[in-house]
Amino acid sequence: MSGIKLTRRGFLKTTGIVGGGLLIGYVAMPGDNTPAVIPEAGAIAPNAFIQLTAENKLVFYSPRDEMGQGVYMGLTTLVAEELDVSPVDIQVEFASVHDAYRHPEYGVQGTGGSSSIRVHYLPLRQVAADTRALLLNAAAQDLAVPLSSLTTDNGHIVSNGNTYPYSDFIATADTMELPVGSPLKAKADFKYIGQDIARNDALAKSTGTAVYGVDIDLPDMHYALVSRSPVAGGTVVSFDDSAARAVNGVTDIVQIDSGVAVVAKSFWQAKKAIAALSVTWDQPALADYSSALIKADYQAAIDSGEGDSKSEGNIEEGLQLATKQVEREFWTPYLAHTPMEPVNAVVRIANGKAELWAGTQGPSTARGLVARHAQLPVENVTVHSLFSGGGFGRRTCLSHVSEATQVAVATDKTIKLLWTRENDVQNGWFRQASIMKVHAGVDSQGLVTVWDAARAGGDLTPHSISSLLPGAFASSPDWVNSMTVSALENLYDGWIIDGGGVEGLVDDYDFPNKKLRHTSVNHGLPLAPWRSVGHSFTAFAKETVMDELAEQAGIDSIDFRKRNLQGNPRLLGALEAVEQGLKDWQLAEGRHIGIAAHGSFQSYVAQAAEVSVEKGKIRVHRVLCAIDCGQVVNPAIVRGQMEGAIMYGLTAVLYGDIQIENGAVKESNFHDYKMLRINEAPAVEVIIVESDQPPTGVGEPGLPPVGPAVANAVYRATGERLTSMPLQPA
Amino acid sequence: MIEFTLNGKLVQSHDEPDTPLLWVVRDSFKLKGSKFGCGMAQCGACTMHIDGRAQRSCVMPVAAVVGKSITTIEGLGTPDNLHPLQQAWAEQGVPQCGYCQSGQIMSAAALLNENPNPSEAQVEAAMAGNICRCGCYPRIKTAILTVAEQSQPGAVQVAIPMPVSEEV
Ligand code: FES
Ligand code: FES
Repeated sequence: MSGIKLTRRGFLKTTGIVGGGLLIGYVAMPGDNTPAVIPEAGAIAPNAFIQLTAENKLVFYSPRDEMGQGVYMGLTTLVAEELDVSPVDIQVEFASVHDAYRHPEYGVQGTGGSSSIRVHYLPLRQVAADTRALLLNAAAQDLAVPLSSLTTDNGHIVSNGNTYPYSDFIATADTMELPVGSPLKAKADFKYIGQDIARNDALAKSTGTAVYGVDIDLPDMHYALVSRSPVAGGTVVSFDDSAARAVNGVTDIVQIDSGVAVVAKSFWQAKKAIAALSVTWDQPALADYSSALIKADYQAAIDSGEGDSKSEGNIEEGLQLATKQVEREFWTPYLAHTPMEPVNAVVRIANGKAELWAGTQGPSTARGLVARHAQLPVENVTVHSLFSGGGFGRRTCLSHVSEATQVAVATDKTIKLLWTRENDVQNGWFRQASIMKVHAGVDSQGLVTVWDAARAGGDLTPHSISSLLPGAFASSPDWVNSMTVSALENLYDGWIIDGGGVEGLVDDYDFPNKKLRHTSVNHGLPLAPWRSVGHSFTAFAKETVMDELAEQAGIDSIDFRKRNLQGNPRLLGALEAVEQGLKDWQLAEGRHIGIAAHGSFQSYVAQAAEVSVEKGKIRVHRVLCAIDCGQVVNPAIVRGQMEGAIMYGLTAVLYGDIQIENGAVKESNFHDYKMLRINEAPAVEVIIVESDQPPTGVGEPGLPPVGPAVANAVYRATGERLTSMPLQPA
Repeated sequence: MIEFTLNGKLVQSHDEPDTPLLWVVRDSFKLKGSKFGCGMAQCGACTMHIDGRAQRSCVMPVAAVVGKSITTIEGLGTPDNLHPLQQAWAEQGVPQCGYCQSGQIMSAAALLNENPNPSEAQVEAAMAGNICRCGCYPRIKTAILTVAEQSQPGAVQVAIPMPVSEEV
């Protein structure tokens, strides 16, 4: 066994930190003494989120980024509700970087963790309600009528049957104090929250007019492409650029931290030059590894019984109470995110100021990275956030911003740096690979008596921290950052369990006696949160074992789960909704149904997958999905996120497998890293469970159950329990 | 110099002849609606109509379109003058991140030009070259079938009220 350290420690804590943001949280962002929004002439901006113009246009500055998940509409709807304006009449802008726009839980200005609607549900409504109250106060004064006689209607004040645009009262409002704690609307009075309203970005995205980072075009802008080490962590030993320099249009070839950048007038010229460039790389430790060896290391680690663990109840007693036992081991591979828009950044530096154009999941980190590499104070850096062509966790990693800045500094040019699809598949960050083991038992009543689970694999948090630190502390020296990261690696390698590697593995059900063990095995491939993070693989192990326990106990798989969900009423509710929905399903000859249920990001999802297996090929025909995500802001978007997460999950279930050969990723583009296509897409039916609970996540929770639901259906079709992803029936 | 028709206008490209049409259209003619997704005819994000047929512009050297007629998403319809597919896309909330959607709509438009009343299987076959990483497939299928249905003789046109904002 190579490259791994095992430790002997007893009961230890699992961290809840997935993205790493919490560790950095609440460090002041310097340079935020200026107002977040400077209103245009004749307008007011009573707070960082809303501007009202003289033409009665309301502008909402979205603190979170839009990558497809729907916050552009969802957050706008929250503001619209309390402002009493239709959400589609509000102009939405992505916020600049400012303290006011930090994520309330992560501390940095970032988007992720299926958290945007949950954390902004009340604060954004409050800001909007206070703004409306201000306008009402101003109107009462200007119209010389009692406040109580006034109401509002779609951007207008209504007084004695007359309507006045909000903007009529800007001058007076500007002299008044913004009220605080104005009452929020009761659910019964909601006009927009909970309604199926077409997304406010759908028209732009259907006409080619929505602007993404890749669409930015500035005068004298040059393209940059980078040749990077095929093995992550490799550095340049030497390079020969004579042939590349001879390519028409090439203006510069410069070495940067991550490799060698080619700069040219056009993308195509840069692409030709990159192909003509020859670089010699040193070989980091990862170069000694291929997939089989990495897996063997995980196997040795999990078999060793070593690692950090925590438990509840008594495993021995639980085993004694069991009348039937199941023991299974699972493999889930590395995966790439492959958002449809490969990452890119445009950087312009002039007169001691820098500007960045990019769609990211972390504009404040991006700003810090530009400042660091341009050696400017962060105050002198402006970030223009744009639509992202997919995120899925990939846009939390911003090395392309550092690269673009380094190239802009080295060449004194305005740079658009673009990752090709090959770069995206081969040089990026990956979902962790894992081996998981579950040993569980059930008694004669069909109750689970024991759940003993373990996982071996890489830790996410040190990677997240190492990509966040340089941007969060733009002027800290590199050695301080490396020291912090290596201290963290030691912490995870034997002190605490990385939450992003085990979340969901021992959760959801009433397990009276349970244990979680983790062994960190890190080989140096960069890791990043991938849509639903640890849940993307733990649900596969958990729900497959639950299915097998049901079978062992001789109980129907839905019934069995229900018996063991007595302490988790909301997941139980979602499962019952699926059970109900299935009553209308007619099952054609040769089709089989598999069930799974899993809670993540504070939402609860149950799914049934209708599957057939023909000549060893899995075909998923239909998926029934029930979600309880509390109060729904836009049901069409919730359904869309369930559909999308199921498709994203199915790509991983049927195809996803990043293979390592001598430290390098073998796959390179969509021909060998296959994606689910429309002719393989199942029909999806979504049931939204009615709830009065506050809203919770929808971007990720739809994904975890789909893998095990399909695997459980395949078992019914073939009698074979598949325990490796992607699923490949014999 | 290479001459072709772009959205109804005769244009001249001075790019190197092996430059893919996608980059000529995006960077020389500044039409950014067609997207780069893979550069090897695998994803369909760059789909344009070349003489009416849906083609992958990322692998089409500009020299190969001399004298041909190219239509991009910008030429298909605009926010003020939507193609029925664009209207259906917006009404039914098809796009998520939206990055693949120009290519999806161009493939769908070529299909309906050729076959105004496709079956579900024909829709799947025609759209299989377009990847949507956000998984909008069910809605793409429904939107195409709705437009096909509405275009049939004798179809009842049901106007679905659509909130339109051009400020996005
Ligand atoms: S970019 Fe042309 S097919 Fe993918
Ligand atoms: S909408 Fe995002 S890739 Fe299709």
